[in-house]
Amino acid sequence: MKSSLRVILGFLKKEFAQTLRDPVMRLFLFGAPLLQLTIFGYAITTEFKNLKLAVLLQPDDSVMRELSGHFYNSGWFTRAEAEQGDPEKALYSGAADAVLIAPPGGLTKALGRGNAGLQLLIDASNATKARIVEAYASSIVQKYAASRFPAREPGPGLSFNVRILYNPSLETSYFMVPGVMTMIIALITVMLTGMSMAREKEMGTFETIISAPLKNSEIVLGKTIPFVVLGMADALLVIAAGLLIFKVPIVGNLFVIFAASFIFVCTAVSAGLLISTFARTQQQAMMGTFLFIFPANLMSGIMFPIENMPLLLRAVAYINPIKYYASLLRNNMLKGSYPVVVLPDLAVLTLMLLVIVFITIRRFRRTLN
Amino acid sequence: MNNKSPAVEIKNLSVRFGSFTAVDDISFSVQKGEIFGFLGANGAGKTTTIRVICGLLLPTSGEVTVAGEVSNSGENRLKEKVGYMSQKFTLYDDLTVGENLYFKAALRKIDNEAASKKIPELFKFIGFSHSPSTLVRELPTGAKQQISLAATLLHDPEIIFLDEPTAGVSPGVRDMFWKLIEKLAKEGKTVIVTTHYMDEAEQCRRIALMRSGRLIALDSPQGLKKSAYPEPLLRLSGLGRSDSELLAKISADPAVEKIWPFGMRYHASLKSEEQLESFKKRLPERVSVERISPSLDDVFLKLVEGAER
Repeated sequence: MKSSLRVILGFLKKEFAQTLRDPVMRLFLFGAPLLQLTIFGYAITTEFKNLKLAVLLQPDDSVMRELSGHFYNSGWFTRAEAEQGDPEKALYSGAADAVLIAPPGGLTKALGRGNAGLQLLIDASNATKARIVEAYASSIVQKYAASRFPAREPGPGLSFNVRILYNPSLETSYFMVPGVMTMIIALITVMLTGMSMAREKEMGTFETIISAPLKNSEIVLGKTIPFVVLGMADALLVIAAGLLIFKVPIVGNLFVIFAASFIFVCTAVSAGLLISTFARTQQQAMMGTFLFIFPANLMSGIMFPIENMPLLLRAVAYINPIKYYASLLRNNMLKGSYPVVVLPDLAVLTLMLLVIVFITIRRFRRTLN
Repeated sequence: MNNKSPAVEIKNLSVRFGSFTAVDDISFSVQKGEIFGFLGANGAGKTTTIRVICGLLLPTSGEVTVAGEVSNSGENRLKEKVGYMSQKFTLYDDLTVGENLYFKAALRKIDNEAASKKIPELFKFIGFSHSPSTLVRELPTGAKQQISLAATLLHDPEIIFLDEPTAGVSPGVRDMFWKLIEKLAKEGKTVIVTTHYMDEAEQCRRIALMRSGRLIALDSPQGLKKSAYPEPLLRLSGLGRSDSELLAKISADPAVEKIWPFGMRYHASLKSEEQLESFKKRLPERVSVERISPSLDDVFLKLVEGAER
């Protein structure tokens, strides 16, 4: 037992020296995650701002002017120009995303007649964007109408009273950042471990290791524990960045998040070692990592809802460790650490870890056969 | 274990990779304190044999006994007794000399205290003059080989396997390496070494000659020469490559077994001792004849070609 500890400590020193001495590795470990988190967190958003809106109105149409003021003050729209005679031109030239047109004769007069119809032209070449413009516009118009004509509330008699929970401001980054954190931790840990083992084989240093009288478990632990430590350092860095840069709130228990991260990092490290048992060279290990990590990320529910996938893919998604860690992170950060929410995910993740470790030890060979 | 029992004993060892037979039913034993040479072309099965003895490969069939440990009791038992220096450089070139040796010590479960006593001793033994904090990739080839040897000797193995330790190093380093090998043998270690160089093979107590996975000869250098060339071997000088007419005449001579070019000259083997004088008389005066003892190159050529026939 004590002598096994000696072996593992030897591996720790050696792997840290090799990984942390190399500037490229340092950048890969600590620089790349922060860069990716920033790019994903800021750039990938399903929220649209700065939509270009042109409003066509008569100079004396005071109601329409007031309404357009509400549009521009909402924070979603910026001013664009369109021609009175040919409003579509602004859309196909890209000068505007939408054009709001007052009824003939002006909105003020039309309201006086009791029959006011506004026309909204939307560029729907990006369907998601068009739907959002429509939703924004109708909410602004309804709000305006309600405040100006309380007696004559438009719309159906039944109205929803929506309360948005956990992410009341519907900040996309709150939703995306935990997902992106998951993907980054998975990629870096799997790749680092897989490449390191494949490198030993490619460079021939694996012979140095296996020429010593060691047990399988001693070699496996020696080649995994250093990367669990490095992976945890990365996970903590990424979580801290999520808190500080994106101000993602942590409603849940920090300890549960650490425990979940630890189990996930162990799973990813074992997956990396498992990949390396199929690879002879670093290149093969890298290909293996990508073959695993891209489908696993796409089918983790981080970007695309699993509920909408065909049955077969859904089945695959449910044996994907990344799905469970993403769900753990999201739930713990945004909802809170309710045992009903957390325990099933933790249990499944632990089970997966055990299965992967079992297969890896079965496949691991300490001879060259 | 008594002193008479061999250091290594191999019985009917075969190693197959799929349909390819790398080692084909070989048996031999190596005595304690012996310098034992493995000779053969690339792919002859030398490295495979050594890897099996060191516990890095599992044999397809046959039995290996190393320092009294039998291979089928688990390859780790073998690994404890032997030190193996691979023909590939197997240390980490992005670590320092010291880091490499301490890591190797950790793999062998030698504690730090013992390692920090042993490492300077080994530096002294191998005559290593660089700083232990040098990165291995910055060392010249010879020094890298020295460090590999030090790493092999770290756990004080009884039997040391050196797989082409002198490939690609300067003659000076080769010389130094063989002095180390002799020093190890004097300390009672058994050294098993593979090489391409015939002059190195001459320094072995016994030589095993391998070809296509088979052991085709095993003897001392003297014994190999005697058994390969029981009849006289001659060196013919004053005979050019363009003397095709004379060459044809010599090879048709009833006394001549075979004639072949050797460097700038020719070597010829005769069928019997008695025909030597009469053969000399039949040669023109410009050709001078000298009786020589065969070199290992001659032996190698004859035995390997003989096996090919």
